[in-house]
Amino acid sequence: MEEIPNFWRTEVFHPLSVHFPIALLLVAFLFKLISLKFKKEVWTQGGSILLLLGIIGIWIAIYTGNLADGIVSRTICDPTILKDHENLAYLTAWLFTAAGVLDFLVFLKLFFINSKMWLISLVTVLIMAAGSGVLMYTGHLGATLVYQQAAGVYTPTSDCAEFN
Amino acid sequence: MLKPKLIKMKTNFLKAIGFASFMVFFVSCGESTNVVESGTYQGTIDKVEAEKTEIYVKTEDNKTLELYFTEGTELTQNGNTVDFSTLTEGQKVEVEIEKVGKRLDPIAVRILE
Repeated sequence: MEEIPNFWRTEVFHPLSVHFPIALLLVAFLFKLISLKFKKEVWTQGGSILLLLGIIGIWIAIYTGNLADGIVSRTICDPTILKDHENLAYLTAWLFTAAGVLDFLVFLKLFFINSKMWLISLVTVLIMAAGSGVLMYTGHLGATLVYQQAAGVYTPTSDCAEFN
Repeated sequence: MLKPKLIKMKTNFLKAIGFASFMVFFVSCGESTNVVESGTYQGTIDKVEAEKTEIYVKTEDNKTLELYFTEGTELTQNGNTVDFSTLTEGQKVEVEIEKVGKRLDPIAVRILE
């Protein structure tokens, strides 16, 4: 008789880790966008902290995604969606990492960028806007992998015998 | 007034940002793969991902096939079964593939050299 698999499977760590950076990075973008108009610390520094946490989170999600990829690619029916999901995830991670580097430069207040501080903040927000767009589409592809192809999902037998 | 050295430093900084942005997009493009019909194809191994027992094969008509080995995949060289670690980038291979949905399951991989 089939047994219910252990919940803590390798492929489960990706959905467990991916939602934190999604939320953190989208809210970081909103904070940084607001900080262009309102210079309060809550928006500028709050946005920076969220961005930093989101960047750490997204690279962890990339790592767990790579672990899951090696397993679910053998079972899903259209791995091309997974490949697009993977490529766009890397693009998202690099975009937010680039934004993080620029944000860090502004934080350091280096003498040679002092006069361009506002411009760099604007470029940072624009990169984060692009990153947010790609992030949402990447998330959408991830959702289609789960809800249309059951990626990483255990499908119970038709008579649910393993639950008796 | 800004000193020429400072202006040059700022210009270099902006160039560095531009170059970094370009590299970000270049690196992020990732590899694209193709879906082909069931059959036998010859090509060259483009990439080996040992931890996933996965290979990318570039076919003679310039298509990239992403192949995840299954328990049933036969890997041979000169008619003998060999270990996955035998595979290296640049090797010529012949792959027998079964298309399942849009997934390509390798039934057999033969190293041709």
